[in-house]
Amino acid sequence: MLRLALKRSLRLGPAVSDTPSAAMVASRGYHERVVDHYNNPRNVGSFDKEDPNVGTGLVGAPACGDVMKLQIKVDEDSGKIVDACFKTFGCGSAIASSSVATEWVKGKQMEEVLTIKNTEIAKHLSLPPVKLHCSMLAEDAIKAAVKDYELKKAKAAPKQE
Amino acid sequence: MWNRRKHLLLSSLSLLRHISSTPLLRLHPLKPSPLLSPSNSFLPPIDSQLRNNLLDLPRCGFPRNLSSSNSCSSCWNCGAVGPTSGAFLACGSCGAVQPVDSSVDYFQIFGMKKMYEIEEGDLEGIYKDWQKKLHPDLVHSKSEKEKGFAAEQSARVIDAYRTLKNPLSRALYLLKLEQIHVDEEKTVSDPDLLMEMMEMREAVEEAKDTQSLYEIQSKVKKKLDSWSNSFKEALNKQDFDSAVNCTQRMKYYERALEEITKKL
Repeated sequence: MLRLALKRSLRLGPAVSDTPSAAMVASRGYHERVVDHYNNPRNVGSFDKEDPNVGTGLVGAPACGDVMKLQIKVDEDSGKIVDACFKTFGCGSAIASSSVATEWVKGKQMEEVLTIKNTEIAKHLSLPPVKLHCSMLAEDAIKAAVKDYELKKAKAAPKQE
Repeated sequence: MWNRRKHLLLSSLSLLRHISSTPLLRLHPLKPSPLLSPSNSFLPPIDSQLRNNLLDLPRCGFPRNLSSSNSCSSCWNCGAVGPTSGAFLACGSCGAVQPVDSSVDYFQIFGMKKMYEIEEGDLEGIYKDWQKKLHPDLVHSKSEKEKGFAAEQSARVIDAYRTLKNPLSRALYLLKLEQIHVDEEKTVSDPDLLMEMMEMREAVEEAKDTQSLYEIQSKVKKKLDSWSNSFKEALNKQDFDSAVNCTQRMKYYERALEEITKKL
């Protein structure tokens, strides 16, 4: 068990904890979920910005110079988010937060994703207080993406008539 | 008439006798009269050591160990008064390291005016000069108290040097001195700014060789310089909102430069 944890930590980098209790003790390291999202990021990529079914949320944290882009693909009939992707330049926590966000919004209604709170993301990733703003960034990115889609839809609507 | 003169003489003689017999000034042959030694006149009889300490007070009357900035600081070791201008980090007379006075800002430590444009070339020389006087390694033979002062002062000078050397940190420090509080947690959604930064970072990611990295680096440096000037102007006009905006942009450019450096 200990050897396995040691092997994993050597492979993945410094300060990696295997068990939740070890995570609490090794408080200076990233939580294993953060490392997982960093090494195996889900949904990295870009959609076509001009696509009318795509909403793009672009947010930044000036204090650390992070940029986060989160895109959603919405099924216009059902209002359901069918796909999501992200591109984030920032620390491990920011990348993991946006990765988690794309996972959580998939298959949900737009109104529903607006209720996703940064505290839930932070809890899921066991983010330390100093990294809470990364989860806030992810929440803002989701909201921005939804807002962008709705703006596009509103602009497109008069043309269809 | 003679009788009157005789009477006058006798009365004056008796008067003189009276005066000499009544002591108006009790003059002890050995002790000095209180009226004749002015330095002691208004002080109660005190221990000579204490009197010496009291006489060493600087003119403004502050007690010795309280070092406020500039004119009223005096050395805890020898009592010499500190400089009237500039930071009092080490005593000019006895060399004793002084306790940290946090009211002295970084610009004062380097003897520079509190403004964005400084002579960056001068910083290193002044920094080294201070460390020759303050570094903990140089005080290993001194008291624990002074070693403690040296460790704190030396660390503060290092912080000051680093802060003033880098333009962005200098800018942020100036804003802090002006009591401008920047909400670090606030996210920005200015699409133009973010799009530019996104594209910049993507370009750095996708750069295939060092040549293209150098090209991007010089472009980013130019932008950083131009925003740096904008900051200076905004600060001069006391337009703090613009100034903060400039520092945010500068931060993004600096991050991009860091990433380029990592890749190189």
